[in-house]
Amino acid sequence: MVSKLSHLQVELLGALLESGLTKETLIKALSEAEPYAPPSESQRAIHALQAEKGDGDGAALPNGLAEARLSEEETDDDGEEFTPPIMKELENLSPEEAAHQKAVVERLLQEDPWRVAKMVKSYLQQHNIPQREVVDTTGLNQSHLSQHLNKGTPMKTQKRAALYTWYVRKQREVAQQFTHAGQGILTEEPMGDDLPTKKGRRNRFKWGPASQQILFQAYERQKNPSKEEREALVEECNRAECIQRGVSPSQAQGLGSNLVTEVRVYNWFANRRKEEAFRHKLAMDTFSGPQPAPPLPPHNSSSLQPPPALSPSKVHGVRYNQQPATEAESSSSNPHGNSSLVTTQTILHQVSPPGLEPSQNLLSTDTKLVSAPGGTLPPVSTLTALHGLEQSPHALGQQPQNLIMASLPGVMAIGAGDTSSLAPAFTNTGTSTLVIGLASTQPQSVPVINSMGSSLTTLQPVQFSQQLHPSYQQPLMQQVQSHINQSPFMATMTQIQNPHALYGPKSEVAQYTHTGLLPQTMVITDTANLSALTSLTPTKQAFASDSESQTESGMHTPVSQAPTIHLQSQDTAIQHLQPGTRLTSSPAASSSSLVLYQSSDSPSSHGQLLPSAHSAIETFISTQMASSSQ
Amino acid sequence: AGKAHRLSTEEREQLLPNLRAVGWNEVEGRDAIYKEFHFKDFNRAFGFMTRVALQAEKLDHHPEWFNVYNKVHITLSTHECGGLSERDINLASFIEQVAASLS
Repeated sequence: MVSKLSHLQVELLGALLESGLTKETLIKALSEAEPYAPPSESQRAIHALQAEKGDGDGAALPNGLAEARLSEEETDDDGEEFTPPIMKELENLSPEEAAHQKAVVERLLQEDPWRVAKMVKSYLQQHNIPQREVVDTTGLNQSHLSQHLNKGTPMKTQKRAALYTWYVRKQREVAQQFTHAGQGILTEEPMGDDLPTKKGRRNRFKWGPASQQILFQAYERQKNPSKEEREALVEECNRAECIQRGVSPSQAQGLGSNLVTEVRVYNWFANRRKEEAFRHKLAMDTFSGPQPAPPLPPHNSSSLQPPPALSPSKVHGVRYNQQPATEAESSSSNPHGNSSLVTTQTILHQVSPPGLEPSQNLLSTDTKLVSAPGGTLPPVSTLTALHGLEQSPHALGQQPQNLIMASLPGVMAIGAGDTSSLAPAFTNTGTSTLVIGLASTQPQSVPVINSMGSSLTTLQPVQFSQQLHPSYQQPLMQQVQSHINQSPFMATMTQIQNPHALYGPKSEVAQYTHTGLLPQTMVITDTANLSALTSLTPTKQAFASDSESQTESGMHTPVSQAPTIHLQSQDTAIQHLQPGTRLTSSPAASSSSLVLYQSSDSPSSHGQLLPSAHSAIETFISTQMASSSQ
Repeated sequence: AGKAHRLSTEEREQLLPNLRAVGWNEVEGRDAIYKEFHFKDFNRAFGFMTRVALQAEKLDHHPEWFNVYNKVHITLSTHECGGLSERDINLASFIEQVAASLS
């Protein structure tokens, strides 16, 4: 039986029983009270009281009841009964209330303005009142008001009086709004919804934090709620909003312009769905990289111009392959570290022809990949940053940089999810994979690189990948150029610099590495890219498999050693790359490693380079390589 | 109904500290005591009010009070003497009792 009672009824019953009412008396009273059948619970309680008291207090009770009614005017559900109290309130507004309100305003003016400002501000937040409403009614300047409420900017007493007057009246109006929610809003209220009548405009609906929380939770459960679910959410939100305002949920109409309706809930869900689709699209764009049309700075080769990605890179790729051959021959006589480079070059050269094809394939794939993302170019700023980087390596004198870049694109490509297209590329270009691993380092070793690196480091990993895309074409070219100038090994080192990192996701970069850039150097540069890449698990896995396949696929003997080593280092590098935090550490490492490379003009055998690169890779992650490598 | 005479200074010193300790404040500008009660929800608030109301009827001494959802603001003062009296103290004690039992 008790289960059928509402909570309030239970409470009231408890109160009655506590007051000494016996069961018999209660039952008797019930039978007596039946004819009353009051609409509201409060009245029921009163009537119950009446019944309990019996006739003895009959005289007293009616008065009490009348008093109660008057005092209940705010909360009673009786429609007609309200008119008198409303009229009474209206009267109050003029003489007493006006005086009362003035007194409150005076009191507020005496208080510390900042404390009162905080009170007013929290009231605005609690009831989701737009500042515009206050401004319209008080005539205050919105900027001034905002600063006063949020930052405590001083406000003259006269103006504060206007604000506090609005505040007091608004509180009263809102209270009435809520209490008379069922019966409509008093027309007398001057601040009723703040001059909607003035301009015929209601305040714009605004979602409160409580409602938003409820909606987000529902959104997580189901993105597309049915009408019933929406209506349920409407109730829930309105209840929460009322509770936030310290008002009974049954008075939700008092929310006025901030009342939650099904239409609003429907729109909210629609907007969230659109938002998510857009974010998803942006994410896809990030991974796929920007279009290959970014304007490349006139670096080494004119071919580096920002033409359609494919042709120039292809040309360069081809060229690169050819050049190393020549270079190898010519540089073999170099006593300097070129020897090692020469060796590398030779190796590269040997590798390049086979690599060319796949790289070219890569190129084509890349182009496809590039265009796949949906054609959203990365922000121009990122592109320009890349350009800056591009040039610096070149300015350095073809410092071994961009190798990493070359590798990175490959890695990035993997990350972007184009693993399928990249994988073959990777298998063909063993160096590229290696490079990728190394590329994780920030391109900061070389001063020029540093500039790039810094610019890159400032970028978010996501942005970074974007940059990679547009720039990767350039580095490829540059790499080719620099590569030619320097010993291939060194060239590859330079590749490591940011631009390459930027290229990361592009398979073109991978292609470039294939042309002969030593993977080691490549790897070192772009930690940032790698970190961005590492965030993509498939990338790493693909990478690992790619590197493995590379070892087996078709590396020429001379190169085989390098790749193997590189692969190992790559793996470590890659593994190290995972945490995004690596970014910070990598710059130091990369710089050191890069420095290493640059200084390796001195006789550095290929073998030397390899181990140093390897160590560089590892150190970039942790220690300073330069010393060790040197 | 208890005594309706205004409390003397000594009586105030004796009785009011206990009430002040539980949160009753003296109202500025009039001789009355005031306290705000918060409850979990309306049911509890109104259950509290009902109990107080029943007792008020019994004592024939009624509070000035305001209720919005889960909040109850009570002001106690005796009209006959124009200030605080024993009745207010009694009712305040009873109110404390009820509030404690309800929360």
